[in-house]
Parts: sequence; structure tokens; C-alpha cells
Amino acid sequence: MSERTIRVQYYALLREQAGRSDETLTTGARDARELYAELSQRYPFTLPAEMLRVAINAEFGEWSQPLKAGDAVVFIPPVAGG
Amino acid sequence: MNPFRFSTQPLDTAALQREMRDVTCGGFAAFEGWVRNHNEGLEVTRLEYETFAELAEKEGARIVEEARAKFGVTRAACVHRVGSLALSDVAVWVGVSAAHRDEAFRACRYIIDEVKHRVPIWKKEHYVNGDSGWVNCERCAMPAAHTHEHEHEHEHHDEHTPLRTPDYSRQIALREVGAEGQARLRGASVLVVGAGGLGVPVLQYLAGAGVGRLSIVDADRLEPSNLHRQTWYALADCGREKSALAAERVRALNPEVRVDAHALRLDTGNADRLAAGHDLILDCSDNFTTKFLLNDLALRTRKPVLFASVYQYEGQLQVVRGDDATACLRCVWPEATRDGLVGNCAEAGVLGPVPGVFGSLQALEALKMLLRLPGLHPGEMLIFDLVSLNTQRLRARRAPDCEAHRRSGQPVATSAAGDLEVQFGSLAEAHAAGFIFVDVRDSRERADEPLQWPAMNLPMSKLLTEAATLDADLRYLLVCATGKRSAAAASLLRSQGFSECRSLRGGIKGLKAIA
Repeated sequence: MSERTIRVQYYALLREQAGRSDETLTTGARDARELYAELSQRYPFTLPAEMLRVAINAEFGEWSQPLKAGDAVVFIPPVAGG
Repeated sequence: MNPFRFSTQPLDTAALQREMRDVTCGGFAAFEGWVRNHNEGLEVTRLEYETFAELAEKEGARIVEEARAKFGVTRAACVHRVGSLALSDVAVWVGVSAAHRDEAFRACRYIIDEVKHRVPIWKKEHYVNGDSGWVNCERCAMPAAHTHEHEHEHEHHDEHTPLRTPDYSRQIALREVGAEGQARLRGASVLVVGAGGLGVPVLQYLAGAGVGRLSIVDADRLEPSNLHRQTWYALADCGREKSALAAERVRALNPEVRVDAHALRLDTGNADRLAAGHDLILDCSDNFTTKFLLNDLALRTRKPVLFASVYQYEGQLQVVRGDDATACLRCVWPEATRDGLVGNCAEAGVLGPVPGVFGSLQALEALKMLLRLPGLHPGEMLIFDLVSLNTQRLRARRAPDCEAHRRSGQPVATSAAGDLEVQFGSLAEAHAAGFIFVDVRDSRERADEPLQWPAMNLPMSKLLTEAATLDADLRYLLVCATGKRSAAAASLLRSQGFSECRSLRGGIKGLKAIA
């Protein structure tokens, strides 16, 4: 399986749990779901993917969307504070 | 003849009076404002008037037209001098002719009073001692923006009279605003849901900008823990209804704004009534229930809703236009999105300026929408992380299977929370009914107030990861302090297949109330 370099950004609870806002990583994950599962091994994420949205290259996308080298992936939980 | 105009030449009042003649009129009234030789002990030698002609002419014409409509007079006109004037020159002339004298007098008085308050004209006085100073005398509403230190007493303005309108010249000066944009803002009605961290800057800037009507919905009373981010309020205001407080502040800032305060929580029963008559809705609430309710309202009524939410050091901004082609909140967020799962200001904490930034952005986007300026696209979400200062604009597409879009046009279904929540007088009673208790409070809360009955501990933060330890066939009763989090948790667990779980209505607090 080929490895790709991907830029990831975290928001809200995910940023807290990952302890960072963004990072560039090399992954074998084929799609966003696999990438999130992989990251969940590394960080104590409590939110399942079903509760989040993923955006790829500035567009909300599907979890099954294949990842390409150089993609910018953003994981966003809903927030409601006011 | 233009009903309101400026003249650089001395006024020929006889000629102006002839223009007012009409065979149907039995009365003519005129007012002349003259250049006087003194102002608070200082001898004035001459005057200069300047104006912002494009705006001033439109506003002046509007005033004369208002007077004609209001008093039913036949002819009315007002001419104001600009440029350099000598003592005793006529600075302003108002003439009105009508069938009867009463209307003529009243319309004449109305025109000169309104012109003095509303039309931007500045006066530079030259004094005998050689000094001079710009006096914003005609627009008494605005403190003079000039350097002279003398306090001028103007005969036409009692300085103890409350000022009636702010001066919008600094925003009207923007090419994209102008007099036309200002008129648009004046004609706009905006519903603001939530008068907290987001609502405060929103209301401040919309009121300041001269948005004609603002309606404020907030069920809460001010608490000391609100003040670090809701800095419009005062410590002494704690305990008072925020909607009323915010309305008071709006009136103090801009008495021109028509403001209504509603001390209630937006729900399916009142949402349509509250939104009626408004052009734009701003969601400044702190919970998903309200946000999704407003989303449904947008789809049902096609009224745009501008959403903002904050979390610790970041936030999201999104506009939902309510049409069939663009994304709504439900197109973006999963059905399982519930309050209590990702934290609010009380649970997760927030730094004061964060809602300040997002409320300001929300006010900015709202003004741009009203002024028809480009901004956030429908469905697009702006995410701004105020720690890293990263911003993202993410495009969202209308989801083909969006439930909210499918439902739009249909009456709102009442909340399914009816059978989700159950009420008991005591935990013993609930136990007798066959329930197993699941305490969703955190460990500190449990230590502070033990449940007094054996229970599983499953704090909200672990609910999703440890739900697998529950048995889908058992009857669980989820319990928290007030019943709010447990309802969210129960609803989420149901969506995961735990169809028999319920939430204790009113929580532990509710039990005490009954006992």
C-alpha cells in the first residue's frame, strides 16, 4: 500500500484531544475514514466519525472519499457555544 | 422644484414664497433661520456652512415628503444655505402652504425640527477674537468633531434634551453604503436569538448601524459567570432578564431602533410567530436544539439564518438561505448531533473575546447581507481557530438525502422527546418500574451529590466509547443534574439502537422538587 503525505487540521474537541491544531503526516490510509481510525489509535479521540464532518481541500466530503498525496484534510466536530 | 435643496447664493425669500402659492390654499407659514452675532458670550462675525450634499438632499427631501404626508399640506419646501454667510443672512428657509393654517404651522415646525436633527450640515463660526471652530450645530445628535474648546449654547438646541439619533456619516461615507444603504438598514428587521456572548456584539453593531428593528429572544437571566464575555452588561444587572437588559442597552445606544424583547426560549410553538416580519435571523444561541429549530424555520419560511457557534478558542459561521439548492445545517451535521456531547461554554470553557470575535463577524456578515455586499456563500462554513489564527472556508453541498430539506414545507413535527423522557417522584419508584440507572454526570458531580441508589457511571465524555457495555434489551434510565444532558444522551443511545433507554425528566433536581 502506498504512503501519502497529507496535511491534517483538527478543530474543537479534536484539537484538544490531539493536543495540536494541525500536522503533516505520512499515511497509508486510503480514505478519510481509515485516516480517522488511524489517528484514533494515536490520540484519545472520544467522538466517533459519525459525529464529525470531514472536509477535503476546502470542501465537505464523504468519509469514503479516496485520499491523494497533498490533500488537506480537516476534521470538524459540531460546536454550539454562544 | 426640488422640495429640499442647498443654495450657495443668498436666498430670495419673496421668490420662494411665490413658489408656494396655490389657489386651493388658505394659509402659508414660513420659518427663517438667521445668522446671529453671538454664541455663549463669544461674538460671532460670520459663518460657513458645509454639507454632505448627496446624502443631505435625499434626507431633506424625505423630511419634506414626510411632512406633506403627515399633515396633508399642499406645498412644502426647504432651502438651506451653504458657503460663507454674513450676520443676519437667512441660513435656512422653510415654507408650507395648506388649505388651513393649522396644518401649515405644524408642517413647518416639523420640517425645521427634523432638518436640524437629521440632515448632516456643519457650521464653522468665526469669532471676533480671530478664533474659529466647526460646530456640529445642526446635527446636535453628534458631539462636534473639531478642536475648539468652547462650549457653545445654541438657542435651537437645549443640550439637556435627549438626542434622538446617532450620526451615521462614518459608514455612509463608504461608497458601498451611502444614503441608499443607510435607508436599507433603516428599513430592515432582524431577529436575534440569544443575547449572550455572540448576541451582545451582534446587537451592539446592528443597533449602532441603525438597523430599523431588532427583536431579541433570550430566556435567561444574567449570571456573574456571563460577564467576562458579555461585557455590555454590569455586575449590578445580575439576576435580570437578558432580553430586557439588551433591549435597554440598544435603546440607550440608538433610540431610533425599534426594539422588542422576548424573555422566552424559542420552540416549535413560537418560532414562526417570533420570526414573522423579520428579514434576517441571527442565531446567537448556545445549543443545537435552537440551531436546528432555526434551520427548519429557514427552510420553511425561506428566511436566511446566519449561524455562529464558538468553542473555547474557535468558532464556526454559516449562512443558511433556506432554499432547495443550497446546504442547510442538517446537510452538514449528522442526525446524531445533540447538545451535551461536544461541550458548551459552561463545560468546555471559553475566553471572552472569542464569542466577541464571532459575534462581530456575525454582525458584519449581517450588515453585508442587508447591504447586498459579497460575503459568506450560502451553505459555506467559515472556521476560525483563534489560537493558531488559521481560517478555513469550507464549501458544503446540499445533501440529496437531507431530512430537513425533505420536511421543509411541512409543519414542524413536535419533538420526539415526549416518550424519551419519563418523570418519577423518586428513584425507588423508577426502580420499581424496572429501570436500571445510568448516571451520566462527571466524577466530581457524583462526589458532590451521590445518587443514593446503585447506578452505572457513564459520564458524557465516555458515553460513545463505552456504550458497548450496555445491553440493548434492558431498560435504562439516564440521570443527570437537570435532565438536559441525560435527554441528549438517551436520544443519542437510541440512535445507536438502545431503543429502551429513557431520560429522567428534570434530573436529580426534579426529584428534589417533587420530594
